[in-house]
Amino acid sequence: MGQFIQYMINGVISGSLLALVALGIVAVFKATKVVNFAHGHLILFGAYFYFTFSVVLPDASFMPDWVSSWEPAWLQAYAGNAPMFSPRAAIASWVSDLPRILLGLIGALAANAVLALMIERFVMRPLLGQSAFAMILSTVGLIWVLEGSAGLIWTAEAEQVPALGPNFPIRFQLFDQNLFMFSGSLVNLLVALFLFASLMLVLRYTRSGVAIRATAEDQSTAYAMGINVPRVFSTAWLVASTTGAVAGAILASRNGLSPAIGLFGLSVLAVVLMGGLDSFAGVLIASMLVGILSSMAQWKLGGGVAEIVPYVAVLVVILIRPHGFMGQEEIERI
Amino acid sequence: MITGHFKTDYSADEGIWSIWPKRWGLVAALIALAIFPFIASNYALLLAGQIGIFIVAVAGLNVLIGYTGLMSLGHGAFFAVGAYTTVAIHHEWPLTFPLITLVISTVVTAAFGVLFGLPSLRVKGLYLAVATLSANFIILFLIEQEWLAEWTGGVSGIETPNAVFFGYELVSQQAKYFFIMPVMVLMLLFAQNLFRTRFGRALIAIRDKDYSAEILGIALFSHKLKSFAISAAYCGAAGSLWAYFFPAILPEDFGLNMSITLVVCLVAGGMGRTLGPIFGTILILLVPEMLKIVAAAITGGDATAQTWVSPTRDILFGLMIIGFLIFEPMGLVNIWDRFWRFMSRWPFAK
Amino acid sequence: MALNRRTLLKTGAALTAASMAPGIVRAEGAHWRVAASLPMTGPFATAGQLVAPAFSEFEQQVNDSGGIGGKPIRVEVADSGYIPRNALANFQRAQAAGDLHFYYGDSTGFMELVGPTLTGDNAVMMGSTSFASALSNPANRPYQFMAGPTYEDQFEILLRDIADKGGKTVAFVYSDTEFGRDPIEHGRRVAKELGIEVVLEEVTRAEGADIENHVTKLAQANPEYTLLQGYVTGVWPQLIGGARAFGLTTQFMGTFWGMEKIIADRVTEQAGPFLDGYQGVMPYRYFYDQEDAPFYRELGDFKRSINPGFSGYVTAWELEGRLCLELWKLCMERVIEADKEVTPDNLMAELGAIRNWDSSGFFGEPVNVVNNKIGQGRVYRYDAESRLYNPVSDWIQV
Repeated sequence: MGQFIQYMINGVISGSLLALVALGIVAVFKATKVVNFAHGHLILFGAYFYFTFSVVLPDASFMPDWVSSWEPAWLQAYAGNAPMFSPRAAIASWVSDLPRILLGLIGALAANAVLALMIERFVMRPLLGQSAFAMILSTVGLIWVLEGSAGLIWTAEAEQVPALGPNFPIRFQLFDQNLFMFSGSLVNLLVALFLFASLMLVLRYTRSGVAIRATAEDQSTAYAMGINVPRVFSTAWLVASTTGAVAGAILASRNGLSPAIGLFGLSVLAVVLMGGLDSFAGVLIASMLVGILSSMAQWKLGGGVAEIVPYVAVLVVILIRPHGFMGQEEIERI
Repeated sequence: MITGHFKTDYSADEGIWSIWPKRWGLVAALIALAIFPFIASNYALLLAGQIGIFIVAVAGLNVLIGYTGLMSLGHGAFFAVGAYTTVAIHHEWPLTFPLITLVISTVVTAAFGVLFGLPSLRVKGLYLAVATLSANFIILFLIEQEWLAEWTGGVSGIETPNAVFFGYELVSQQAKYFFIMPVMVLMLLFAQNLFRTRFGRALIAIRDKDYSAEILGIALFSHKLKSFAISAAYCGAAGSLWAYFFPAILPEDFGLNMSITLVVCLVAGGMGRTLGPIFGTILILLVPEMLKIVAAAITGGDATAQTWVSPTRDILFGLMIIGFLIFEPMGLVNIWDRFWRFMSRWPFAK
Repeated sequence: MALNRRTLLKTGAALTAASMAPGIVRAEGAHWRVAASLPMTGPFATAGQLVAPAFSEFEQQVNDSGGIGGKPIRVEVADSGYIPRNALANFQRAQAAGDLHFYYGDSTGFMELVGPTLTGDNAVMMGSTSFASALSNPANRPYQFMAGPTYEDQFEILLRDIADKGGKTVAFVYSDTEFGRDPIEHGRRVAKELGIEVVLEEVTRAEGADIENHVTKLAQANPEYTLLQGYVTGVWPQLIGGARAFGLTTQFMGTFWGMEKIIADRVTEQAGPFLDGYQGVMPYRYFYDQEDAPFYRELGDFKRSINPGFSGYVTAWELEGRLCLELWKLCMERVIEADKEVTPDNLMAELGAIRNWDSSGFFGEPVNVVNNKIGQGRVYRYDAESRLYNPVSDWIQV
């Protein structure tokens, strides 16, 4: 039982990462009806931007020293001689990294937003009115463009970046079983859930949220009602790129930064379809489910099987519910 | 001013090679195909063989996406099934006649196609694409399993047999070329003619609106399944040729990368046309190689220059695909059509 | 380079030559030609980008010192994107452009793909990034060699090291790739022989693995030693970090591709010194170990002379590429000295005859080439304080 709960926790944590990536794909699809195959590479850019602003820039000679490593006296006193991975040492080193983490996040968000606006303006906008198929394939073309650009700019180096939160193990007891999780992963989980929740609230209650939903419902009617549809598109891409930047920062700090991050986006597609392309709630459920199932498969059946669990799951779900858990059913007229 | 071609009977109207330049163009193309291996280097033959095989597969994908309107991102799996079936047959009966192996592989793959097609009645569009994508991953997973390793070689791949015709083993790429090209031409002809039949037109009706087609009396499910089967059969044949062509096959050859490449070839060439797969495949497979040659000529293959040359090549390739979608969304075939329209009406109209 | 008329003409000529040059026109050129495929793009671009300098510098250094047998060399590198069939196309393109004397492949997949075609006129001496056991097989792969021990050998070195220290339990953690699975079966057998129990075999993704799950499973199995295989830039540091954070004391050990200093250094810098104590087998000296390595000193001087900003460290990955080239050069010189014709067969015969070769740096002791591989290696241990891998064993022969 204890083991079961442990793998459950692990599954939820990896599920939250899937959800964070899926978020951007759903946001773009909801507004523009385009499945963004290049989302993983948008995330890759986010990760490289985060690296640039949190590692390269603070080390530059014109930056004040405290940016790269902030060490006020009280912090050193607090840290004392705590051993590595103790909560105290972890928090102390996190606080001393905090300036550059914040700089990195802000820089990555801004830079990725600019990138997404450019993609929207120069690639997607000219394709308006074409078939959805053409637009989807242009995102496939984007994969090469983005991967190549990243290679040109950052020469594909494998790098490390600071984590968003302090990392120490949290141990606790449940049903008389010793369980653990990493605080860093907990932070990632909370960030993912926070972004998800706030996005759902925005969609539900704000004007631009309503505009997005209206556009998702029917583009031409939304146009006729005075909604600035191209603006809605840009907003959707903005949401995707900024959440993608956060996802990139998290993935890079968790797994190390390398061009392989781009591939992660493709593997999330199955999860998105499982939840239903245009449903945030459905995709959240699907992400958690896939995370937990993979975790269980890893536990009982080993890594080879865990790899294909998402694909088996999506196949089963789609056969039973052709539009995923909560995807909107398309009503066809003849 | 010429506004069209004057036809006096129905058979002329149904003809494939409506005007003489097309007829002679075909003859010239066939002759060029036959001469090519005698003047080409091994490298050019490697590319030609690959292109020939891909054309067969993309033509198969065209049946499904271009003519029936069903999306698939899993055709790499059919490729794999065809290739591994061929290897397995030769493993069990080493001296099987290659054409028989080819047919068996094709039939086996068609059966897999029916299996993949089962969701297609309920599931549509992108959901179908991802369902096939999932099936692709699952098939590759099975291929990599150890209990199949005797026939598939597992993750590390397996060496493939050479085709042996009446005691003559096809070892060189030149010899293999002469095996691939006739198969390719025959399969293209079959595809071209398929859509002049009642069955083919039924598929087109399904593409245009499936429920309308059903009301017209077309059995949706069986037609979709048959379309999947035919489409898979083409890829199976391509896979079988692939196994004969390359000295070894690896599961990773047939993953998402290949499935996406097939779709990109189809779209770049133009969907729903027989020439589309030909043009698209040539473009998509040749352009990266051409860019490499150009880059090597400019930099002399210098290793440090590669650090910026290779990413630039990727960017150019991606931009080309995007440019195509923006400026020529109907694919290369559209340019081709415009060219012929222009020629036949010259000097009066564009 | 500006796109002037001359480059345009050259490009046109190259395009025609590549597509049309028949295999017969293979005149002896004015250069010895070396070509290579490297993954300059795609998931393993990092490795490709880091190995690339070895090729341009080799070309420059050899030509500066008068070429081989008085004839200059020419090195051409092409990108494969880590796709075997692209690498095959690169290889055949290089062959189509004239006589080819050495080729460097970028993956096990490519070596397997090209292996059966290397016969008769198509044969070329071939090294690669791969240490896959299948390539150390002169009967089956007469033209392919590796500049070190196979993964199986590396695994065996580690297991024997564990047995010597009295280790009783071990876990194998490997990526779900051919590269990851290569030595596992052999590892099981050797472990059994040595009386070491394999308490866990964990398959992970090659990139972006699910650290929590793997750490949980490691904690359950609680092995004394954990062998890592099939990783390049990622997973191994994160896995070790997770296990250390959890408080596991298992000793982690890796093989060649998962032993790079710059990766370990960056991890230490950004995430803390938890890699301290990580061990692994490395066939070569690290570049900073220059005392008995005149070659390394020369290479360092050369790098400084062309690039004043040279960091002073050369990755082991780059050294591996360079060593393959040096071995080819050695064989070339011996073939030319013996006044034999430069053919792949003669080159491979010279390679197979290498005995007691002083590598002048790469290896600690004189080496022999047996079964197209060099069975020597050493166990190193990472010290996070000095950021160095320090040797903890003598040079081991397998």
